[in-house]
Amino acid sequence: MTKKLLMGNEAIAHAALEAGVRVVAGYPGTPSSEIVEMVAKERAAGRAEGVHVEWSTNEKAALELLGGASYAGARCLYTCKQMGLNVASDPLMCLNYVGVKGGLVLIVADDPGPISSQTEQDTRRFGSFSKVPVLDPSTPDQAFAMVKAAFELSERYRTPVIVRPTTRVDHASAFFDIADRTRARDLIDGGFVRDPSHWVIFPRRAYEAHGEINERLPQIARDYASDTVFAAFNPLYGPGLAPLSAPDAVAAQLGIVAGGISAAYTLEALRLVEARAAACGAKVPAYRFWQVGTPYPFPEDEAARFAQGLERVIVFEELDSVLEDALTLAAGRRHLAYDVLGKESGDTRDRGENDVDDIAARLVRFFGLEEALAADDGVAPVALPQDAQLPARPPVLCPGCPHRGSFYAIKRALGKTPAVLCGDIGCYTLGNAQPLDAVDTCLCMGAGITQAQGFSVVEPGRKVIAYVGDSTFFASGMTGIANAAYNGHDITVVVLDNATTAMTGAQPHPGTGVTLMGPKNEPISIEAVLAACNFKKIVHADPLDLDAAIAAAHEAIFYEGPSAVLFESPCIQLVRPQAPVEIDHELCTGCKRCITEIGCPGIGFDPAAPGPKSGKRGTAFVDASLCNGCGLCVDVCPFSVIVPAAEAAGAKSDAAKEGGAHA
Amino acid sequence: MLNILITGVGGQGTVLAAKVLAQAAQERGWQVRTAETIGMAQRGGSVVSHVRMGNDGEEVYAPLLAHASADLIIAFEPAEAARVLPYLAPAGSLVTARTAIQPVTAALSTDPYEGARMVAQLAEAFADRPDQLTIIDDERLLAAVGNRKALNIVLLASAVARGYLPLSVDDLRRAVAACVKPRFVELNDHAIDVALAAERSA
Repeated sequence: MTKKLLMGNEAIAHAALEAGVRVVAGYPGTPSSEIVEMVAKERAAGRAEGVHVEWSTNEKAALELLGGASYAGARCLYTCKQMGLNVASDPLMCLNYVGVKGGLVLIVADDPGPISSQTEQDTRRFGSFSKVPVLDPSTPDQAFAMVKAAFELSERYRTPVIVRPTTRVDHASAFFDIADRTRARDLIDGGFVRDPSHWVIFPRRAYEAHGEINERLPQIARDYASDTVFAAFNPLYGPGLAPLSAPDAVAAQLGIVAGGISAAYTLEALRLVEARAAACGAKVPAYRFWQVGTPYPFPEDEAARFAQGLERVIVFEELDSVLEDALTLAAGRRHLAYDVLGKESGDTRDRGENDVDDIAARLVRFFGLEEALAADDGVAPVALPQDAQLPARPPVLCPGCPHRGSFYAIKRALGKTPAVLCGDIGCYTLGNAQPLDAVDTCLCMGAGITQAQGFSVVEPGRKVIAYVGDSTFFASGMTGIANAAYNGHDITVVVLDNATTAMTGAQPHPGTGVTLMGPKNEPISIEAVLAACNFKKIVHADPLDLDAAIAAAHEAIFYEGPSAVLFESPCIQLVRPQAPVEIDHELCTGCKRCITEIGCPGIGFDPAAPGPKSGKRGTAFVDASLCNGCGLCVDVCPFSVIVPAAEAAGAKSDAAKEGGAHA
Repeated sequence: MLNILITGVGGQGTVLAAKVLAQAAQERGWQVRTAETIGMAQRGGSVVSHVRMGNDGEEVYAPLLAHASADLIIAFEPAEAARVLPYLAPAGSLVTARTAIQPVTAALSTDPYEGARMVAQLAEAFADRPDQLTIIDDERLLAAVGNRKALNIVLLASAVARGYLPLSVDDLRRAVAACVKPRFVELNDHAIDVALAAERSA
């Protein structure tokens, strides 16, 4: 055993390895990506024996691959972000009917906020929709325990099991005792056992299977209460956060229920409120607090026991009102006389994240302590002067990002030609920001290519551009490519090929050929795919070579019929930066074109530093700690006063050396 | 309970600072939880790391701080310090780097962001409790270290030297050595020395 600081996602990976997982597959997506990466790291270090790990082409491919491995008796782990499960929903729904053999655990990371997602969908709902059990950790420690328990549950009932962490569990860290070595468990029955009446789904078999699912779900709900491993995921607390062995150990009229990270926030909030009450000499009324770590199937018998004698129950959960609805249903079904306060009743936040402050404030009201706790302790907080203004700091394309050149080249090639610019999922969604302002739409993975076709059908007078990243191209762009050629849509696909899955932390994909198992396979050529799909006009350019990039874009955009531009330049995460460019202060006119045209974070403007040519305007400057020397601004400056790294090195070798030290 | 917030701009190295603090807490036998900003915000946006330690033997339930609860804020950039000020406890302290990073939005606007003005406003906010504010001349110190990437360790060492943390310089050195690759230990030890020397001469 070794003690290590692990992020929730890394702990999940270790738990799966300790549970003997044999096959791990997924597709990157924040906040889930570190799970597969940690498994690959342990395997590469020789500490995880017998495990196969891969980034699959997309989530559907990953889950179907794991379905096969599970039929053969292997323990399997699937990972994705919440919307990734939409892509894999087809195999998930059917797998639950067919059933699994080797334990199949799906880690589906939800993203309340949302912080890095398009939706705030709640995977607990996906559990009830697909009739698949869901476990909901509140801490990395609980996630670790739940993953191990989920494998047992999966094999006990031959059902897939979902563990649903959220961002603040995935990206929170704690210390763990982890096994020094792990070994994949052997296949159940030594491998796949043919049984067409079981593994081949037909309507008659589906009808039977539906009945089996309906029988096992109530049994699983009972296991959640009677099996000590699962009962530990639903702890009960009384006043002073004392653990309760049974609900009736505390006579109370007030109940608190929470799930996921909100349970951890509620514990902190209760501690805060009790401390404040003690300081003010106020009394907190008796309460029971119940964490529900097993939201589906909902343990309704336990809920009824918890609610005995309660008059009001407040529910803290993020995303949907899953626990609130279940408690309301239980009250109706069992004629229990408690009120449920939550999202639906308007008593808790209806969207976004919860936090300790908000829950504490709501608990103070729930306890009727607003007046008693109103007095403050008299120490003023540290506060900024009234006139202080904070600069907004939204995420931006990195300095030197090749996408900046691609977006700029497309805009320059279009000029005033009417156009719709369809975006997609990845770093390049950031192309919508000022001053590039080069993205009009963004829906979901791969949708840019197909949405563009809809625009071209109904607005033939406009040019339609579809940006797609290299990883997204393989994940879900190819069907749209085939559709464009098949139905003859006049669109221009702009492939932003930076040779990696950049936004989620630089994972490999089919276009790189790099695998997590070591050997590099032959990269799949995007150009060959496009050519095979009958794209007749395919042009290439380096997006950081502005003139060539504009010429290539022009050639493709003004071609009649499906066309493609392949902008190829690696992500800055993959290559060493070059020496920063330099702006000649003596010659800068202060026109700001370098800023208003391409908006690179490496160039700032100092209005208090006028130069001989800038009048009173001030001048632009290079932040040498950020500039990576890509040189795009050199081509943009109309007065040629931005000097590329190589020339700067020739002219002022000392200065260039200093800048190069940053590299 | 010891609550620490570390803030900066994506790419500045806040994550390592949080790891070092967690390691130091662990070696003291305290329970510790941390939380990171990972995802789109890392592309040059505002990032925050939370570190919570049960230094009186308390259990740490949640990884994120409540408002007005931070005993210490370590800021890699002055506007980011100002942004998270509502998290600072009335008796809490702030260590911030002086150097501003211009966001593109500010460079585009007619009302650009002036780092010196922001630092002055921070000083004004702490005017009635100057001992709780330390502004680090990061440009000068990092020039002395010879590597800009050492900003995180310089800030941590300054906080320890100022007595803002119940950790010793040796605690810090040990934690850093446990968290960075062996070939970077010497550089970081040097960064700690530079920060300590600056604090002594202040």
